[in-house]
Amino acid sequence: MTQVVGSLKARLAIWLLVMVSGLGALLLMEAYGASQRAAERAFDSQLAAAALTVADAIQWEGRDPVVSIPLAALQILATAHQERVFYTVLDHDGRRISDNLDIVIPEADQAAAADAPIWRDTTQAGTRWRLHGREYDSAGWDIQDPVQIWVGHTTEGRRVLTHELFERAILRFVAMVLLAALLMLLAMRVALTPMRQLRHRLRQRQADDMRPLDMQVPEELREMVEALDTLFSRQRKSRDNLLRFTADASHQLKTPLAGLQSTSELALQSHAPDVWYQALVDVHEGAQRTSRLAGQLLSLARLRHMEEAEESQPLDLGALLRDSVLEWAQRDMAAQHDLGLAELPSEPMVVQGQAWALRELLGNLIDNALRYTPPGSEITLGLYANDDGLVLYIDDNGPGVDAEVRHRLRQPFERGGRQDTHGSGLGLAIVDNIAQRHAATLEIKERLPHGLRIEVHFPPSVQPSEEPA
Amino acid sequence: MQRVWVVALLIGGSLASLPSLAVTPLVVEAALDRQVVAPLLAAFEQAHPGIELSYRDRSTLEVDRLVVAADPPPDVVISSAMPWQMNRINQGYAQRLDSELANEWPEWAKWRNEVFGFTFEPIVMAYRLDLARHMLPPHTHADLQRLLETQRDTLQGRVTTYSPSESGIGYTLFQQDARYTERFWDLVTALGANDAHLAPNTRTMLEGLSEGRYWLGYNLLGSYAMVWAQEHSEVIVQVPQDYALVVMRTGFIHRDAPNPRAAQAFMNFLLSCDGQRVLAAQTPLFSVRPDIIGPYTAQRLRDQVGDRLYPIPLNASVLAFVDPQRRQAFMARWAREFDRSWREGDQ
Repeated sequence: MTQVVGSLKARLAIWLLVMVSGLGALLLMEAYGASQRAAERAFDSQLAAAALTVADAIQWEGRDPVVSIPLAALQILATAHQERVFYTVLDHDGRRISDNLDIVIPEADQAAAADAPIWRDTTQAGTRWRLHGREYDSAGWDIQDPVQIWVGHTTEGRRVLTHELFERAILRFVAMVLLAALLMLLAMRVALTPMRQLRHRLRQRQADDMRPLDMQVPEELREMVEALDTLFSRQRKSRDNLLRFTADASHQLKTPLAGLQSTSELALQSHAPDVWYQALVDVHEGAQRTSRLAGQLLSLARLRHMEEAEESQPLDLGALLRDSVLEWAQRDMAAQHDLGLAELPSEPMVVQGQAWALRELLGNLIDNALRYTPPGSEITLGLYANDDGLVLYIDDNGPGVDAEVRHRLRQPFERGGRQDTHGSGLGLAIVDNIAQRHAATLEIKERLPHGLRIEVHFPPSVQPSEEPA
Repeated sequence: MQRVWVVALLIGGSLASLPSLAVTPLVVEAALDRQVVAPLLAAFEQAHPGIELSYRDRSTLEVDRLVVAADPPPDVVISSAMPWQMNRINQGYAQRLDSELANEWPEWAKWRNEVFGFTFEPIVMAYRLDLARHMLPPHTHADLQRLLETQRDTLQGRVTTYSPSESGIGYTLFQQDARYTERFWDLVTALGANDAHLAPNTRTMLEGLSEGRYWLGYNLLGSYAMVWAQEHSEVIVQVPQDYALVVMRTGFIHRDAPNPRAAQAFMNFLLSCDGQRVLAAQTPLFSVRPDIIGPYTAQRLRDQVGDRLYPIPLNASVLAFVDPQRRQAFMARWAREFDRSWREGDQ
């Protein structure tokens, strides 16, 4: 039974999700950094503007610089986020001319600000401050020393702006992902259209319609459609075979039954008891043959419709072969033949298989050989191992089979053009079938000067533990 | 200390039989006359019987000094000297108030959710009826200056205004006046020429007016003056017609307030409809809230005076007023301009 394990859409969606999450994490980290930098830039430039405004208010009164702190500078410093503000003006010696808070400016920072405007982060009493320092050249009549201006504010606004920018980045990203997911769904629908068409086509198909699918499919579906076509053609072949087999079987059964009917009719018309007796003997033999034929048909049908999952086990093919030959040699049928066994390898020859099936295979091979060779023929069975596994063979020095009909021998009801025996023509078909079930191959060869050799090639046993050391 | 009281509150809350345990002290240092604000304090005490209010009325500069010097520090600090208040906020002496009332308070009347302007007091001129008998009373700043220059004989020694050195609010008003026009300094010169008396607070000026020592007062707190004028018919209050400054009493909760919960309750009461309704109806402090109806509301004042009200902004710019160098420069200029007529007269 087919099990539904997830769906293609779910799989694609999960993949998309995983990739987007991974990528998204990286993107968002980057976005946070970018938001922070943007916020810092925006606010730092306000610090710079405030410092310049303060610089504008510095004048010399005699030897002392005087700054009348402009209101605008303070408002610029405070920003819209109502930061706490700090400013100080230092003279050339680092003395504070003016300030509003006791935030310490390290001498190193003062020295750095003397070269170029600088920005510094500092923490005062648990509050983070961002400071900006720059030097301002202001010429007095008496003194021309530069003064340093330091301004600063708390960092709440930067945090808020960073979060705002970051939130916007997240929103943009989420919108993009949703849009991508939507487009992906659409794309999936479009891409999976051929699948839907195929499904539709298969559903509409008649039960006995075994023609190949005739449709346009994309490259990805080509193999599947080809596999389906192959399946259809195999099913068609199998059904044809079945029909033929049924027809043949009926035909084969009809002939002996017709014989029985005519024999019994003839006998009934006579009044002589010895004619009756003879007829009864004929009927008996005919019934035996028919019964055997029916038995073989049954076993072939059973083999063909056997479930695949039947358990197989490791078997010693040598022992099996020995037992079968011994059993057959004692039968009346073999009395006029020289049925023998070639020397077997000393070690056990192990194959994976079912004992009853292999016994049936051997029986059919021997039965065939006995039936299709004249009395006195030599029949020899043997077994050997080669690189490709095990080879079971049966030789006879009978008349052999013509090359042109030899390949048909494994088909049911094929007697190799011989009408002189009571064989059903099913023996080799059964053998072939059993061999296939064991992954073995059947080879039919000619023997010189005359005779036939049938080989069954078994693959090497897959269970190494059972193999001889 | 703070924790002890929280525990006490918790115990008091759970043991209804011992309500006396739940009484929390609350210290308010304020530059706001007790008599003026008494109805508001009474309303608060009625609304919060569990809080024992200790209201201390002082001058603006004293209140500012106590923010740093008092031990233990006060819970709530109220003052009309906005630059000093803002300076303390900037130094980190306040804690945030994030109540719903605080968040809904108009943006122009608060800073950082730490300090809140809860009144809206116009700055006015006041004169005695005697003045009106001799001359046309001034309606604008220009009128005032012209009067001081032309009626010097009559007004000599009979003019009063804030002392910028003794009063934070007075200094702030002059700073703000000086921002608008250079002619302010002519006014200062004229004040100096008339030998104007420099008072530390509005009350002194009003008392002088009633007693007849002064005929004309400049830059008085309208809130006090209007109440005074109702009781003293000889004093007339004039809201300047060119522009009238507006100061806000601002309050904040001290960072180290020993009783922060009580302080929050007090601030929330100041901002609440109940508190503002008392301000509008029973005090002349003018309610800030636009949804309050009463004789003293910012809205009503705007309707009467028009768009000529110029509130001193509650933002970082007023920090400049307390900058020592700026203050020094301003005071030097003030002294120079105020004494100019003497020096010129000597010459």
